[in-house]
Amino acid sequence: MQRIDIEERPDWRARAEETGFQFHTFDGEPYWDESAYYQFSLQQVEDDLEGPTEELHQMAMSLVEDIAGNAQKLQQLGIPEPFWNHIYNSWQNGEPHLYGRMDLSYDGKGPAKLLELNYDTPTSLFETGFFQWVWLEEQMQRGLLPGHADQFNSLQDKLEEAFGRLSLPQPFYFSSVANSVEDKGTVDYLMDIATQAGIDGRYIAIENIGQADGQLVDEEGYYIQGLFKLYPWEFLVQEEFGKVIKTSSTLWLEPSWKMILSNKGILPMLWEKYPDHPNLLPAFFEDSASQPLQAGWVRKPLLSREGANIELLTDAGQRVVENGPYDDGGFIRQALAPLPKFRDNRRQQDTYTLIGSWVVGDSAAGICLREDSSLITKDTSRFLPHIILD
Amino acid sequence: MKRSRKAALILMAPALPFMLAGCGEEASQAVVFTSAEECSSFATVAAADQCLADFKAAQALHPQVAPKYANKAECEVDFGAGQCETAPEQHASGSFFMPLMMGYLAGQMLNRQGAAPGAAANTARNGVQSQPLYKSADDRSTFRTATNTPVARQTGPAAVRPSQVQPRASAIAQRGGFGAQAASRQTVGG
Repeated sequence: MQRIDIEERPDWRARAEETGFQFHTFDGEPYWDESAYYQFSLQQVEDDLEGPTEELHQMAMSLVEDIAGNAQKLQQLGIPEPFWNHIYNSWQNGEPHLYGRMDLSYDGKGPAKLLELNYDTPTSLFETGFFQWVWLEEQMQRGLLPGHADQFNSLQDKLEEAFGRLSLPQPFYFSSVANSVEDKGTVDYLMDIATQAGIDGRYIAIENIGQADGQLVDEEGYYIQGLFKLYPWEFLVQEEFGKVIKTSSTLWLEPSWKMILSNKGILPMLWEKYPDHPNLLPAFFEDSASQPLQAGWVRKPLLSREGANIELLTDAGQRVVENGPYDDGGFIRQALAPLPKFRDNRRQQDTYTLIGSWVVGDSAAGICLREDSSLITKDTSRFLPHIILD
Repeated sequence: MKRSRKAALILMAPALPFMLAGCGEEASQAVVFTSAEECSSFATVAAADQCLADFKAAQALHPQVAPKYANKAECEVDFGAGQCETAPEQHASGSFFMPLMMGYLAGQMLNRQGAAPGAAANTARNGVQSQPLYKSADDRSTFRTATNTPVARQTGPAAVRPSQVQPRASAIAQRGGFGAQAASRQTVGG
């Protein structure tokens, strides 16, 4: 695993904008960054990332079975009791799931360590599945990368295949919050792939969803029989229409049982069931008797996104904190597996790199890399492409 | 190969010919029938499948869009004695009632040439959606949509404005019950 500088494509910004990738730059800072790329060997990808991703996924799925009908565990995850039944039924009925992303700490050697599962509302999908793919294709055409270079990125193929296989009700609705360009881009990409798979997809802003007679309805009053929502389950169940979730016959993507896996409480539960697994980090639930945070440990809220409300102490005792709005629930502690450090020559600074590993259905489907000057990866962390080359 | 065979966009790339309906609305041609059989006798052999597809789309919409009444008597005041049936949905104290479907508007019969291959009968983006029609007690000769828009006085071709015959669910929907948390937190994806 190496970080290698490369010339940017001169027209990539125009290319991004014409394909709907409006959020390539955030507040004047680059989000998409193609001034360098990461290079992996095929063996690193297959043995250290692809294989472990599928194994970790299966381990997580085996835990859903344990938790979905267990009141004490659902309680521990802070999942509201009125929805236990919905979650249990969605699991027992085998309601399908589409995708997820797990975040790994990996430096090119030794086992990748699972930091967390983003199994409810993962983003950076378009950047991975489409824009990174096009980058490789174009850099090969320009002769800057060898023609036999490859990429661990079967995301678009696997999503199209999944949409073809899932027999979703139609029209199938896709929703996100109205004012987030990034979330809308992710949903647009999914809807585009679904359309290519022959699905009649319609967009609706989450705020525009209505309810009538206990069913969710679109702007024109039609029942929403199938809904992909890029909106967290833990918010949906708290809001005014939370009660409608229980009476509606809507098929949800992701299904409500994903509430179990998107909760960081899954990390101590995984460690308890699979202690000393090479891809897992020691983890436990924090309680009132817990000691102050020790060096070499991380404190994470049960529910948080984009690195928010995470606090860590390095082995040397240096404290790194990311503030955020997710301070209203329980916390877990996880042993620190510091992200590997690389040198960013262009910016003359060190950078820490996180690997996001995608799962579609139950298959590993590719990776995305995020860089930050901090050990905590955030929504502003830069996205860099990668290649496989031996 | 560890990557997708292709990475294609069909909706997000604007160069492609995905047009939505423009603003200046023109009347569209639709056809009114009382049954799929009547449609078949009107249609050329090639369009017989479309008759059935339009009829089924209208029939499926019927329980969703028909006006609902809490009791049968109120329904019959508006639609006539013996002209109401039980609706599939229930309320706390019993059944809802709705008028019988008296015919249907076939939205796609005359738009066939322009329709995309394989387009479903009820998903025309520009055209008229196939839907059930009703007759009120005080005007037995006029076919009306579920929202009481008169469409035609007899079966056969009818010119309609698509926006006037846009079906809507019959219950009054409440909105804005999702999304409150997003306002208080910057980002919700991850």
